Amino acid sequence: MKDPSRIYRCLLLVASLVTVGYLVGAAVHENYLAQWKVVQHQYQDILRQKATDDRGRELLAKFRVEMKQASIPALGAVDRCVTCHNGIDDPRMTDVEQPHRTHPGHILDKHPVDRFGCTVCHHGQGAALTFREAKADDVFWDYPLLPPEMTEATCVTCHDAEKLPPDQIPLLTAGMKLYQQKSCGSCHKLGGRGGALGPALDNEGAKTKHQLIMTSLRPPHTTWNWQLAHFRDPGGVVPDSQMRNPTVTQREALALAVYMLSQWKRDIPESYLAPDKIEQKYRALHPTPLTGEQVYQQYCNACHGNGSYSRWDKKFKRFVPAIRGVSLVSTATREYLQANIEQGRPGTQMPAWGPHAGGLLPDEITGVIEYLRAGAPTAPAMTALTLRGDPSHGLSLFLRNCAGCHGMNGRGGLAPEIGNPVFQRAATDEFIIGTIRNGRVGTAMPAFQRPEAPTLGDQDIADVLAYLRTLGEQKGRNAIAQNVTLSAPPGGRP
Amino acid sequence: MSRLDPPRINRRSFLSLASLGSFFAALGTAAAGMLRLPNPAVLPGPVRRFKLGPPEQFSPGSETAFAEQNLVLFRDDQGFYAISSTCTHLGCTVARSKDGFACPCHGSRFDSKGSVIGGPAPRPLPWLEVSRAANGDLVVNADNEVPEGTRYRV
Amino acid sequence: MAETATREFLHNLHELPHTVKDACFRLGKTPESEREESQATFHNLFLHIHSVRVHVRTLKPTLTFGLGLMATASFVITIITGVLLMVYYKPSTDLAYQSIKDIHFTVSTGRFIRNIHRWAAQLMVLTVLLHMARVFFTASYKKPREFNWLAGLGLLVITLALSFTGYLLPWDQLAYWAITIGSNIANSPRELTDAIGITKFFDPGGFQKRLLLGANYVGQDALIRFYVLHVFILPLALVTLLGVHFWRIRKDGGLAKPEDPMGGLAEWGGERRAVFQPLATKTYGLMALVKGKRPPVNRGPENTVMSWPHLFWAELSVFMVTVAVTLILSFYYDAPLKELANPAIPENPAKAPWYFLGIQELVSYSAFTGGLLIPVIVVVGLALIPFLDRRPGGEGTWFGTRSERAVFWQSFFFALAVTVGMLAFTVNYGWLRNWFPNIHQLWIIAINPGSLLVLIFAVWSLFILKRKDSVRLAAVSLFTCFLVGFTILTYFATVHRGPNWHFYWWPSQWPVH
Repeated sequence: MKDPSRIYRCLLLVASLVTVGYLVGAAVHENYLAQWKVVQHQYQDILRQKATDDRGRELLAKFRVEMKQASIPALGAVDRCVTCHNGIDDPRMTDVEQPHRTHPGHILDKHPVDRFGCTVCHHGQGAALTFREAKADDVFWDYPLLPPEMTEATCVTCHDAEKLPPDQIPLLTAGMKLYQQKSCGSCHKLGGRGGALGPALDNEGAKTKHQLIMTSLRPPHTTWNWQLAHFRDPGGVVPDSQMRNPTVTQREALALAVYMLSQWKRDIPESYLAPDKIEQKYRALHPTPLTGEQVYQQYCNACHGNGSYSRWDKKFKRFVPAIRGVSLVSTATREYLQANIEQGRPGTQMPAWGPHAGGLLPDEITGVIEYLRAGAPTAPAMTALTLRGDPSHGLSLFLRNCAGCHGMNGRGGLAPEIGNPVFQRAATDEFIIGTIRNGRVGTAMPAFQRPEAPTLGDQDIADVLAYLRTLGEQKGRNAIAQNVTLSAPPGGRP
Repeated sequence: MSRLDPPRINRRSFLSLASLGSFFAALGTAAAGMLRLPNPAVLPGPVRRFKLGPPEQFSPGSETAFAEQNLVLFRDDQGFYAISSTCTHLGCTVARSKDGFACPCHGSRFDSKGSVIGGPAPRPLPWLEVSRAANGDLVVNADNEVPEGTRYRV
Repeated sequence: MAETATREFLHNLHELPHTVKDACFRLGKTPESEREESQATFHNLFLHIHSVRVHVRTLKPTLTFGLGLMATASFVITIITGVLLMVYYKPSTDLAYQSIKDIHFTVSTGRFIRNIHRWAAQLMVLTVLLHMARVFFTASYKKPREFNWLAGLGLLVITLALSFTGYLLPWDQLAYWAITIGSNIANSPRELTDAIGITKFFDPGGFQKRLLLGANYVGQDALIRFYVLHVFILPLALVTLLGVHFWRIRKDGGLAKPEDPMGGLAEWGGERRAVFQPLATKTYGLMALVKGKRPPVNRGPENTVMSWPHLFWAELSVFMVTVAVTLILSFYYDAPLKELANPAIPENPAKAPWYFLGIQELVSYSAFTGGLLIPVIVVVGLALIPFLDRRPGGEGTWFGTRSERAVFWQSFFFALAVTVGMLAFTVNYGWLRNWFPNIHQLWIIAINPGSLLVLIFAVWSLFILKRKDSVRLAAVSLFTCFLVGFTILTYFATVHRGPNWHFYWWPSQWPVH
């Protein structure tokens, strides 16, 4: 009789041999080919070469090939970087190749690896035992290793950047300055202060690559690389980005990227914080008001420029008014300006800047109004009209003279939206009449009652004013709905 | 043909032995691998090599207890030495007493050099290896014992 | 007297190795006769569940492909590796991910053992499904094996539950979002109760979800529940039911097989003779194997072989093949581990384990219909098969009844065309909500690609029932349709669904993230 189990015995033989083979293979792979073991044997050789005195011989004798780690429960870190970076705190290892070299500078004197670990400053995957996985550019890990020059971004985890010596954090210092110079606060909030057109940047450094659009980015697809590329060309990295190209050099982009990466609200045990960090947190709660000029530079400049001329904005598809033009500040009252700054202009890109919106302090708003009105006549020439206006005649005049720029129903277009509720509330009759009569120097708004050739008579202006006031009643609800959709950047970052 | 008086059969063959042998070899290799797993490759928790700072801060004749590290550091004329404060009986932490150390758990007593002077402790308190780190700091390696009386000279 | 006792003691001491060995191994040597081989089988706790002789068909590789055994072997592998992983795994949301990283990076053999655990689990699901298909297509569920079919169905459900609960434990993004979706499928009856407005009074969905997660979100309570289910409750249930399953195989007379025909031939004493047909009135039982004075009953020629060693060789080799396959896969492919779970950033696409992807595709039309209603219909339908198809015939033979193979292929291509067509249609034209944005949810629940497929398959099966006049063939057509539908949906959701559940030809076309 044919043996019915012969085939199974052959199968068993083959399967068992394959099993033994792969088990042995896995054992060899793990025990003899591990990268860190190779590295530690190299380091042992280096120690041997340098064992010229008693101390050197002692260190050599103490050295063991084994996994090493800095376990810092307070920071939630188990950093095994020291398994390969064996010479990190050995001052003799300055002339050897990485990964054996001494840590540069005197950083470790005050930040011993035993207490701080590595990843709190450098990021990267501390648990890993191969360089690729520790670097974590292309593995599943949220915070890849920062390039050496960008590592200063993490100093502010425990320090107040303003109290650190600027030569130790050159990029971070430059980044902070650039943020103010480029008036990034006009669109972005940081620490509760800033515009609402772009996303708030308070936790920008905590973002992972999954929160950023990587499609157009050349590898590595890391957050630091994204920041770098994005500052060079926002629209090239984020399609349909509303952000204006900040026009910076590569080094400036690096500085801004470092500043962005430093924005991370990390929970660090108090014992790790430098005393000035605690002071900084206190200062943030009790800010010192900026001067009017500083406020203008940091929060207005990006859209209004120097404020003397109105300008056409390609991204916004509308005119941005000249807010320091003589003709405006000579007619606009302090209250008018204050209402516009504090409440914004719903329906336009101008956000509200009051303490609960853009985060400007009352003193700062006063300051910036002073700054805007600098050089304006103290008592603007205002003439009141006592005539009663006829809205229907006003409408026909409006259609003929105004709607071309201010849009049907005053919903705005080339010129400001004069139907919107903040304008309607804040602009006094005198202000509107004065503007129609005298126009706006530095803008497209002409004077309609030039002494030599008046386009409109006093009665006409009264009619237009009466018509304009009816817009305020009609609009209201629409305007607010529109404001919501417009102030969120369409197609921005997810 | 009756099954009660069956013919002797012999199923041993090279194939059977080889397949069975390789099966047990596979089983053995797998078991060896699996038994390696529970033994931790790297001990969790902070390292037990304690950096105690520059040696100058300890004056000769001083005695400094490090409660968290479970050791006492001494410095005398001949150099540094560290004695573990973990009882050699069953691992309780000993307390400093008049004449040396006393263990609260089972009454072991040691003199100030760690030698047993009473109670169930089988050996003296271990002397720990003192050395210096690459940056000059004094280091006590609580995992390494040295013979009693060993001093580390700075 | 004292001297005798001393001598006896010394003698016993001398004999100690032998007596201990005899106590442990009752036979104590390689069996040399069929009787000893029988003893080797039934004197051993682990072997005695086998009969001492099995039909030669049992050993034919192409009858079963060893699928049930492979599933069992994978289960044994997951149990062993799972216990090892428990040494290091910490079921806490703060520690779980780090502990998996430690297993991956530092634990000796840890990475390999986790890979094996993962691959064996995948293999187990696959072989359990294939095993069920094998049992169905060889008509092995028929009387008296109806109960064992139910037990097997229970084992399938437990296997899927084991795999699902294990998915959460690494606490990475993959785990977190797959379980979030899974638990909301449990919550999906709310879709129905909301649509008819009774959620306030009767909310089985919310109850199920809270029962599963212990909270309204996937958090520490969910993790510990899944852990307990994964390492204790479900394995215990599976082992118990598996014991019943094995015991019933034996009690139901081994693997299903056609009766040896009258006049068939069998090897017997070196020649071929007519197969012995037992008389209905006579008891045969174990008498031929038991030593004693009772009159021996000569059994005639039959197509059986001794279980020891033949069956055990077969079982051992299948076990070892399973081990080898798992090892090879584990050697080359690491078990996935993504970033730490982050409730703020959903995985995109958040895909369930592959065997749930068919369901996930259906869920993308209606969570309740696709995630709950259709799976329940399928499981209930499977459970009813042996009770609705009761006519004997075809047992233990692939496509054993007349025109079964033809019906299989017809149904195969029918289901292929219908499923592919349905998917192509929805990818190109969308579904009800795209056409009528304000449509009532009840319509969506009732009419969606999932429910339509079920309906079409049911109609097809009724058509076969009428046309072929055979319950078995109707069952074959329905089973084939569901098998094909399941496979295509699984394939489709695995390969062709990308971020935002959009259609892509290949994963390489997904936008970079």
